[in-house]
Amino acid sequence: MILLELEDRQWIFLATVVFAATTGLATYAALKLRRKSSRAYTLALVSFGWILQTIGLYGRGLQYGGCPLSNRFELVQFMVWSAIALYIFVGPAFRVSLLGMFTSAFATIFSILSLSFDSWDTTAGAPLFGDSPWIETHAALALFSYGTFGILALTSGMYLLQSRSLKQKKMGGFFPFLPSLFDLTSINLRLLLIGYLILSISLAIGGVYWTRETVSVDVPKLSATIAVWLAYGVLLLLRFRHFISYKQFSWACIGVFAAALLSLGPVDNSTNEEASLNQYITLSARR
Amino acid sequence: MSFHHGELLLITVNHETVSMEDRERYSLDERQIQSLYQRLHQSPDIEESLILNTCNRFELYTKTSDPRNGISIVYQALHDFYKIDTEEIEAHASTRYGPAAIKHLIEVSAGLRSQITGEAEIFGQVKEAYALCQNLGYSGKLINRMVQKGFQAVKLIRNSTPIGEGQINISNVAVDLSMKIFGALHNTSVLIIGTGEIGEKTAKALRSRGATDFGIASHSTERAEIATHKWGGSPRNLEDILSYLNEYDIVISSTDTDRPILDAQNLSETVGVRKNRALFLIDLGMPRNFDPSCEEMEDVYLYNLDDLAEIAETNLKERKAAIKRSEEIADQKSISIWEMLENRGLVNFQ
Repeated sequence: MILLELEDRQWIFLATVVFAATTGLATYAALKLRRKSSRAYTLALVSFGWILQTIGLYGRGLQYGGCPLSNRFELVQFMVWSAIALYIFVGPAFRVSLLGMFTSAFATIFSILSLSFDSWDTTAGAPLFGDSPWIETHAALALFSYGTFGILALTSGMYLLQSRSLKQKKMGGFFPFLPSLFDLTSINLRLLLIGYLILSISLAIGGVYWTRETVSVDVPKLSATIAVWLAYGVLLLLRFRHFISYKQFSWACIGVFAAALLSLGPVDNSTNEEASLNQYITLSARR
Repeated sequence: MSFHHGELLLITVNHETVSMEDRERYSLDERQIQSLYQRLHQSPDIEESLILNTCNRFELYTKTSDPRNGISIVYQALHDFYKIDTEEIEAHASTRYGPAAIKHLIEVSAGLRSQITGEAEIFGQVKEAYALCQNLGYSGKLINRMVQKGFQAVKLIRNSTPIGEGQINISNVAVDLSMKIFGALHNTSVLIIGTGEIGEKTAKALRSRGATDFGIASHSTERAEIATHKWGGSPRNLEDILSYLNEYDIVISSTDTDRPILDAQNLSETVGVRKNRALFLIDLGMPRNFDPSCEEMEDVYLYNLDDLAEIAETNLKERKAAIKRSEEIADQKSISIWEMLENRGLVNFQ
């Protein structure tokens, strides 16, 4: 879809360039100039990139008449979009220096990855969710929760970095600009709660759909989704009961997020099958 | 003597050039500062003035309508006020004119000329001196412009160089590390082992940054009680440390001991009770009070005297490295401020 004379992928490419530039500038300021880049400045740059990305995804959405979630490229882009949205709208409340830099780095890496593989971006060419806005909400919420877990993985990484610096007494690098361990553990818990709540709502909506159309969801997608939900649930329980240390918790948040990303594979395959099924249903209805 | 730029002159008696005994002779309280202002402005040739008086420096910035004789007029006023011979004052004082005086003001306010390089307290003192001068009505267009533009330059220096970053004394380094672990300190509990001076200083530094809950442990309960009367907090008997250790987040130790008070083995007994809460051990004792094995515990952060001194030393090196860049900024800004004053017709009017 062409918007303002640019293809949707070109808008997303431009957004990626802005995210990369933000990461580069903030890293240079911290490591070379030994200065904390202003939160407002980083937020403005990331927001600009996010607006460009939104235009690109909006173009895709117009093509389908719904959320652009038809292939792996769009799933990754939507997850990145959600993570950035969370940073822009909720992030300032955390008052974490360098969160903007880490988030833009996250966006850059995943955006470059999704733009690099043409095979990830094969368009379905038909409405993905038939007539059901609920299942579209389910998918969008699930990916939004993945975005939240992405930010959680970042703040967990910050915790590990800060803890390592304090243990090894290395006060250089990002150390002066990272928040305290206590603040990071509290932010991590809040992010896990938010992400888990959103994922649970998403699964509850999906569950209602699934009980009506049991054949429409394949086993790998169902298993992967439940496994991710269970993993974060167990993590939340372990954290609340103090059964694991903050360091183990942080590693687990990164590990589970990596596994959750891998679970997008089965979800993507299933989405393609659903798209074919919906296309078939639409065509049958027309006949 | 050159009278170029003589309409703005600075006389400074400071720690860089004069001993403490001599500096004491120029020290003033607020009432005396007012009297000196009055004496200076009895002369019709002194149009504006600003006095900065701290424990390390006496400085006088004046705008004079007689650049050629301005310095003599000021020395005479100082002689009348302090009852010190003019020759002696001249020997103690350094003088600067025009942009060099502005540069000096910027450098002093930014902490470049302080005994502790980069300290921020001086900026507050300069602000207070300027506020008093304004309230008394001795500042005018030139001093107001110079100070306000100078303050902008100071902010630029402090924001764009590491001149004021990182703590450079051991107590403050310990406090900064505490804040990197626990964030705000108002919810942290601090146990001080031993009643030595360095422990007391660190406790004071922690208290100044928000810590309120203190315990003081000593081999002698009596000594602990005396210390708590002096510093505040509750007395503890050192022999029972393992029974109350889990109540504390930060432990500062500087006591004489034959064997380590804490090691990985006895610390592990408290781990279950702490529920993963971090423990910051600050070992200021010699021989060391905490066994290095404590560091092996996951949520335990152990720093000894050498570690803290090394961090302070690194920070000081970084500050010193920033002096050159800061001086360059001060130089550029003082020239541009002087040009601005010239363009406004506030200087070079002879």
